[in-house]
Amino acid sequence: MSVAKKMAGKGKQIAISEFFEKNKHFLGFDTLTRSLITAVKEGVDNALDACEEARILPTIRIRVEKKDSERDIIRLSMQDNGPGIPMKALENVFGKLLYGSRFHAIRQTRGQQGIGITGVVMYSQLTTGKPTAVISKIIGEETAVKVDIGLDTRKNKANKSNQQRITWMENDELVIHGVKITTDLKAKYQRGRQSIYQYLRMTSIVNPHAEIFFTDPDGETTHFPRVSNNLPREVIAIKPHPAGMHLGQLQRMLKDSDERKMTSLLRHNFCGVSQRGAKDLLTAADIDEGRKPSGLKTEDVSNLLEAMIGIRTGANGKPIKLLPPPTNCLSPIEELLIKKGLSKTIDSRFISTLTRAPNVSQGNPFQVEVGLIFGGNMPADKPVEILRFANRVPLMYQQGGCLLTKTIESVDWRQYGLDQAGGRGVPKGPAAILVHLASTNVQFTSEAKEALSDNEEVAIEVRKAILEMGRGLRRHLEKQKKRAKTKEKFELINDILPAIAEKSASILKLPVPDLSGSITKIMSAVICQEETTWDIEAKITKVNVRIFNYTARARSYTILATWPERNAEMTDNERGGRKEAFGLWAWKLETLDPGQHTDITFSLTGLEKGDWAETEIFYRGAGDIIGASKLDEKMLEEIRRQEEINNDIEMSEPSVLTLETTTMGEVGGGSISTPQVENDSNDEKDTDSISVESANQENTSEESAEKTNNSLSDEVMSKTADLFTQQTLFSGGDEQ
Amino acid sequence: MSRRHSPEETKIALHGVVEEMYKRMMKGEPPTMTLPVRSKTNIGFDKKYGVFKYGKKKTIRDATSLGSAKQLLRALHVVEFIEEMIDAGKSSTLREMYYISEAWGLGHFNSQNESNNLAEDLEIVTKCLREDFKLRPEEDGARIIGNVTINELNRRGEWMRINARDDVGDSGYGLPYNVENEKIQFLEHDVKFIMAIETGGMFDRLVENGFDEEWDCALLHLKGQPARSTRRFLKRMNEEWDLPVVVFLDGDPWSFRIYASIAYGAIKTAHISEYLATPSAAYIGITPDDILAYDLPSDDLSKNDIQALKAELTDPRFADGMWQDRINLMLEMGVKSEQQSLAKYGLDYVTDTYLPEKMAEAGL
Repeated sequence: MSVAKKMAGKGKQIAISEFFEKNKHFLGFDTLTRSLITAVKEGVDNALDACEEARILPTIRIRVEKKDSERDIIRLSMQDNGPGIPMKALENVFGKLLYGSRFHAIRQTRGQQGIGITGVVMYSQLTTGKPTAVISKIIGEETAVKVDIGLDTRKNKANKSNQQRITWMENDELVIHGVKITTDLKAKYQRGRQSIYQYLRMTSIVNPHAEIFFTDPDGETTHFPRVSNNLPREVIAIKPHPAGMHLGQLQRMLKDSDERKMTSLLRHNFCGVSQRGAKDLLTAADIDEGRKPSGLKTEDVSNLLEAMIGIRTGANGKPIKLLPPPTNCLSPIEELLIKKGLSKTIDSRFISTLTRAPNVSQGNPFQVEVGLIFGGNMPADKPVEILRFANRVPLMYQQGGCLLTKTIESVDWRQYGLDQAGGRGVPKGPAAILVHLASTNVQFTSEAKEALSDNEEVAIEVRKAILEMGRGLRRHLEKQKKRAKTKEKFELINDILPAIAEKSASILKLPVPDLSGSITKIMSAVICQEETTWDIEAKITKVNVRIFNYTARARSYTILATWPERNAEMTDNERGGRKEAFGLWAWKLETLDPGQHTDITFSLTGLEKGDWAETEIFYRGAGDIIGASKLDEKMLEEIRRQEEINNDIEMSEPSVLTLETTTMGEVGGGSISTPQVENDSNDEKDTDSISVESANQENTSEESAEKTNNSLSDEVMSKTADLFTQQTLFSGGDEQ
Repeated sequence: MSRRHSPEETKIALHGVVEEMYKRMMKGEPPTMTLPVRSKTNIGFDKKYGVFKYGKKKTIRDATSLGSAKQLLRALHVVEFIEEMIDAGKSSTLREMYYISEAWGLGHFNSQNESNNLAEDLEIVTKCLREDFKLRPEEDGARIIGNVTINELNRRGEWMRINARDDVGDSGYGLPYNVENEKIQFLEHDVKFIMAIETGGMFDRLVENGFDEEWDCALLHLKGQPARSTRRFLKRMNEEWDLPVVVFLDGDPWSFRIYASIAYGAIKTAHISEYLATPSAAYIGITPDDILAYDLPSDDLSKNDIQALKAELTDPRFADGMWQDRINLMLEMGVKSEQQSLAKYGLDYVTDTYLPEKMAEAGL
């Protein structure tokens, strides 16, 4: 069976077309300008999801034409290179509301409830009376299907017409696979903050693997290039977790179940429930283990629910201990890719991105990612741009009412170097803040899915991530200031002082004085100048570290520099040196006599522009160095210890690793989140959890299993690297 | 008292500034320039001259910060430039020097204020006058009307005899930037006193009303904060002809400062106060009392006004009890008035009523 057919087969239907005809504002079709964006959004979401599922790097083409300006009729066409939709499934995909393979599965997807593209077909029909033209071609088939799809909203059924097989050509080239829809709708095209352009720009930031072309009504085409050839990690469906259950849902599950015993039902249909967990739940709910699930009475069901969500406790008076849901169902964008996405669209001086470890809220795994970009051409006197995303989908409306915005507003940005009246609200400055929530169950304030509703666990995670970004920004700004000061000093001794010497000598007609003494007195310090630059020609990052001894004594130091060991190769390192720790290289310098300077240079390959813009410099030795920090040996030991643990982890079997989360509903404290990675080798090893995991293994290719492994160790390593940037942990040798 | 220096003396004095820097560098130290602190915290009353002069507080400008080092480099360029002018027998305006500095590379000025201040710094350190440096101000000299006769050396090198009543139009005789003896000689006069007036409007009012003829006085338009040449001219008339000086200004914090610069010496030019200030000059008004007594139209004090008044309370030139009372009264009233607010009572009121009353009070 082809991928496309398999995907289509999972669908079930829910007939509520009529309801939605009356409530089109919920669907984002309330104004003419918004309708167009919503239509594009639904199409793009579908395309990206389909490509991802079929493991195809997406190329999407959007074209907007003004068909009838007087009556505001716009023709929208959207084409993707996805797997195509089988002929039989076409009318379901485009003609039934709430049709979607995702509605019944628990995992992170873009369109969560399948209202999507059918809404576009319906809106088009309601406003122009015309059907939507669809062309679909499946991989391996000779011809494409072309069909016009209309909608009978009363029967929740599609009206197909003009169905035919065609040879699908675009720009004189045969299309191999994909879907193209062309639809006329009453809508208005506009530019600005809430525009198709902005929506696609945002989409491109969080989908660095996608290539998007957009042709506007003037015929101008914008190209959002692909900056990564890695598809997002394949998301895996998980079974529901007891802590996220609702009564109706639980009742339905029990009723529909073929299981003969309650224990097997709990173990086979939920995640996080071990044999022992299942027994404990049933004991707490006063239900006999052997009872038949479909025979449970309403009262029993509600008792069971209470045990699941922790109202009914175990014998020890505590909620029943359940394992957290697996988090590999989430597909974060990952720090480096967010960085690439941001830097391709926004010019800046500073970028910091952070992917938090996954967490769980009411049985739903979620993960928060943030990015902060500062400087460049962004206006300094306007509110910062807030880029909100849920499961890689841009959120463009209702910014003020969204949890993500509120969390940004609750931070006092003044301490991190941005303007903010009264320390509340959206800060001002040349910056953009990106927040992405990946979750199996994104909770929106309304069906329009534009603003996230309040959720304390999510807010805490977002806040922690933002604060860490903020600290990074503050460090960057402080460093800039220091750099500017050092630069001034160098201008003084290199340019101004020699000019003073020459001019005074020429006026007095005396020989030019030797300045070394004056220079030492003026600087009276050892100074480190670090320069990290991007070599456009060679496509490498070059790092130069120059140490000047402007003191009256000879000095000797070991200089250490951070480098992105995870992503780059170090080359042209003529001095050699040695690895001090992961991501930290060390060079022992020869003795520097007063007035002397020396250089350390190396290049980094395998990176792209903007990936590595600042190199942190540390030193070991007597006497402060301006522009570098004294290395804290205790800290280094700690980092090494961490590394060893990580190495051990890498040796062991990765599939039974569980990221420890605290009891449901609680979130671990501590500002530096070092995930406690635990090798789950307890005697009470959870058989069920293993079976879930191994089931997942069946579905994933060897490659993606390896990826999971890598990304886990990456995560640990990124935390290690974070320890370096926690400047407070190092004694501040560069304070003067 | 500062005195004029010959070109050779001027050069030697300027070389002293350069030598200080040079010697420090030879000793392996950062170069420096030592000069008095130029703020109200470092001015004191000089009993000998009856004016306020700089005290003993020195500030050392050394090349340990980029800004100061640039100042030193600029000073060197200015010294070199002055020497060139002396040797070539030329002179330039301060503004011209600012533009010429464009060619000085790292030592160029960023604003004219910088070049003006540096010229003053050099005056202070060398005890020379900017006239010795061949530097002319851009500043607008004042004008005078009244029966005084002077000799001015014109640009053809001839002495011109000018009577500031009969040989001039309604705008009076305009003062050149250099009012020293080499340029202006005081010949004769038939006036009893000189009245210095802040605003052009009031000056014209008194001229139109024939105040100078009726009261046998000369009227001098200060044009706001008076230029050095204006204060010097006033000082010379006061000293050489023994003429009393009365000062008629707006009633606001800034007018107090104008009076102080005329009578006590300005902070910026405290190094040559004895040469510019007229200690016997009398302040006529408008005083804060006048605003009340004459019920004058007034404006609320601005934030800046209030700040200025508060600063004046700690200015040694206003330490006198009478000034403290005046300043505190104005702060209390919270208002200020212009000279021309007297027009509330008609155009002649100032000459017929206000000034006669105020001068009688002052004993004139």
